Amino acid sequence: MKITVDEVKCQSHGLCAISAPDHFELDADGKLAYQETFDEEHLDAIEDAIDSCPLQAIIMDRDAP
Amino acid sequence: MATQPTTLHLDISNAYFRMDSEEVRKTRDAHWYARTNWGIAVLRYEDSSALLKSPLLTQGSAKWPAQHGVVEGHFDEWWQKTLLVLEGGEHNRIRRLVNPAFSPRRIAPLHAKFQDLADGLVDEWIEDGRTEFASRFAAPYATRILCVLLGIDENDWKKIHELASTIGLGLGITIQENIARIDQAIVELTAYAESLVRSRRESPKGDILSTLVDARDEDAGKLSDKELINLIILLIFAGIDTTRNQLALSVEAFSKQPDQWEKLASDPERYSAAAVEEALRVNPIGRWISREAAETFQYKERTIEKGTTLHLFTMTSATDPAAFDDPDRIDLDAERSPHFAFGGGLHHCLGHFVARADIGVALSTLATRLTDLRVGEDAEWLPDSGNTGAVVLPITFTSRS
Repeated sequence: MKITVDEVKCQSHGLCAISAPDHFELDADGKLAYQETFDEEHLDAIEDAIDSCPLQAIIMDRDAP
Repeated sequence: MATQPTTLHLDISNAYFRMDSEEVRKTRDAHWYARTNWGIAVLRYEDSSALLKSPLLTQGSAKWPAQHGVVEGHFDEWWQKTLLVLEGGEHNRIRRLVNPAFSPRRIAPLHAKFQDLADGLVDEWIEDGRTEFASRFAAPYATRILCVLLGIDENDWKKIHELASTIGLGLGITIQENIARIDQAIVELTAYAESLVRSRRESPKGDILSTLVDARDEDAGKLSDKELINLIILLIFAGIDTTRNQLALSVEAFSKQPDQWEKLASDPERYSAAAVEEALRVNPIGRWISREAAETFQYKERTIEKGTTLHLFTMTSATDPAAFDDPDRIDLDAERSPHFAFGGGLHHCLGHFVARADIGVALSTLATRLTDLRVGEDAEWLPDSGNTGAVVLPITFTSRS
């Protein structure tokens, strides 16, 4: 499984970083940085991040290696 | 200390102050910010976008009651602990618990209910050719949707609506003259929220309220009883007053542009989302979003001292000619940059997916059923503030049949 953020849509609001702070982070300039891969145990937090994004800019690919 | 640049002053405490005035347009042309009675007003799109999400700013509404002489009482105690003004770990912990309950996935199954409500309300007055939109559509529609969301008995909607409207006065510039009523409304809504929580504990219903009660009970300590009650009051207040007022503002905006109303009516499926965004852009209920400088910093030529309040003028930034073509016109086919009517950053409006969905259904329904829409000259509006809208909105129309 893998996540990508549509960077054209993303407005760096940072709600994903509230839901899944281990995988999403706003840098010092307020821009979003994130990890594409995650462990199964973080799936709930990642799904919450996807749900919470105001722009719905986070896409999960369940088939990705 | 370096000399601060001279800028214009906008009297936002004046009940006749209007964000869409020539005065504000000229001020925006002259400079990116203006001085106000409480801090500075940020007027342009580029600067609003940068500052809204700046990590150097915190949410700035905590001081609002104190700026109007309200420093204690039920409203103030509630307000200082609402999700709207909390910061840091406390804010993030509560927000993490409630965010998923308001996702598009959770809202989608409610569309049919929104549609039934909208049609039912229009049926009540469509034969008359006129109605008072604020009380005959906006208020019952917004309140009954909130009742559905929280699983409240819809028969209670009038009482709930009255309490929510009274608390809404707490965000207006007339807060001090109304504070006794506002405090009393908080007391009544607290008792009501407590009874709702008791009833969900006894028999969960699978609604948003039950989800929140579970978040409390299954993981003791994550959301205290006090936090839960505070949150329910916020949801009731913020969920009703905002949608109710935004519906009236949207109808007013479209009444000035019959060509776009007809376009929406011709293909509501295609245009309803754009109709919501354009209405929010040109006529938002929250005329400004407040922030406060967490530290002293330099922005462009201005030193912003720690503690300074910044009002990001939403309507002004979203109609900035530097960012939008023909900015004051609704254009359902235009590609527009995002507006800031729902705020932004970590405090981005929790209920925006609900608002976008129910306002979209309402506008599509109204456009497909009514034409020749006109707003009466005797409409009464609240002053521009963080929460404006119509007190009375008489409309006339011709039924499409």
